[in-house]
Amino acid sequence: MENRDIKVGKEIEKCNEKNRTCADIANERKDMIFNLVMKAGEILLHNGAEIFRVEETMEIIARAYGVNEVYVYAISNGLFLTINVDGNFFSTKIKQVPIETVHLGRVAEVNNLSRDIVAGKYTMEEAMKELDRIAAMPFVPDLWRIFCAGIGSAAFCYLLGGSPFDSFVSFLSGFLLYIFIIYAEKRRFPKVLKIVFGSAGVTLISILMFHFGLGNSLDHIIIGSIITLVPGVALTTSIRDFFNGDYLSGTIHLVDTLLVATSISVGVSVMLKVWNMFL
Amino acid sequence: MASMVIQLIASFFATVSFAFLFNVPKKEFFYCGITGTIGWFFYLLLYNFLSSVVFATLIASVALTIVSRLFAVNRKLPVTIFLISGIFPLVPGAGIYYTTYYIFTHEISLAVEKGVQTISIALAIAFGIMLVFVIPQRCFLWGRRQR
Repeated sequence: MENRDIKVGKEIEKCNEKNRTCADIANERKDMIFNLVMKAGEILLHNGAEIFRVEETMEIIARAYGVNEVYVYAISNGLFLTINVDGNFFSTKIKQVPIETVHLGRVAEVNNLSRDIVAGKYTMEEAMKELDRIAAMPFVPDLWRIFCAGIGSAAFCYLLGGSPFDSFVSFLSGFLLYIFIIYAEKRRFPKVLKIVFGSAGVTLISILMFHFGLGNSLDHIIIGSIITLVPGVALTTSIRDFFNGDYLSGTIHLVDTLLVATSISVGVSVMLKVWNMFL
Repeated sequence: MASMVIQLIASFFATVSFAFLFNVPKKEFFYCGITGTIGWFFYLLLYNFLSSVVFATLIASVALTIVSRLFAVNRKLPVTIFLISGIFPLVPGAGIYYTTYYIFTHEISLAVEKGVQTISIALAIAFGIMLVFVIPQRCFLWGRRQR
């Protein structure tokens, strides 16, 4: 141990004669790899990739840049990355990644990038730039999102047994719901409030339209219009995580599902109760 | 029969609109839609024959996952893109909502019934996906050679 310390000390002394020390260069390289791998993982996790894909991609990128010892532990809302770049010391970074919107376009791009990195098409700097570009990829324009939410609501209302007339009403209320959701996202409402208010509002709209003779079945209209909020995919993902042995991720997704579902039901049932009280 | 065709069209649009909300690249909308439609087709078919929601969902998710893996290999994209959008019609979103809704209206027996069904559907989907994911990747390569 002492011998090695002396040896390292001599090497550092040697490097000190130049402007930059060996340690500096090693540190820069380490930082770069760290940031690159972490950023790739963060984009993937943040935008809805599966846990195993996040871990695999991070390891692949690190190995492509010559790091042999890399350990990744990913859970639904956080990343732990340990890397040994210089052959002596391990370093660890931890990053919290909130569960938020899904942007599968970004997942696809990072996937392509990692394939190109393995093929040797990117230097670290270029890869970092590319990742910055991917992280800034825009969402679909708001108007289109609102319109698609309407179409989705109408289609689901029909699939779940509503009549075409109900679907039409669902289209309107789903459309209005997403206008509110986008407004709430811009104002950075807390998730629970956004969903409670959104589902209460959409219930009120549906009741009003139903009251004025639009639609045949209020139940189908409401379920159609809130379907864009319902966490069906999160529940399925959670169970897939359990099957894969990622118990922690599964639990996190399950809790998220329950929270969202409860918020929706609170919104809908409170609004129905209030309406019944006054009429 | 006619209603089935309309249902399939509706499932196509449902899938595409969710693909949109998930920011799937525009080129893939059609393939996402097809994935969702195939899933819903198998679901309807088996549900009419067997009238068991869980079993129909299981087979439908197997079919749908096979299709999305084929698309993923052919179009060199992560399978998630086709899977998440395509699975949407099958996913027990309404079930989750009804379960919590009945809890709030104190209709506990209905809530338990819906809850058990929701969990079984989710289990069936997850199991179906897992069944297809254990098939080795090379089995899905034949489509690519043909192109």
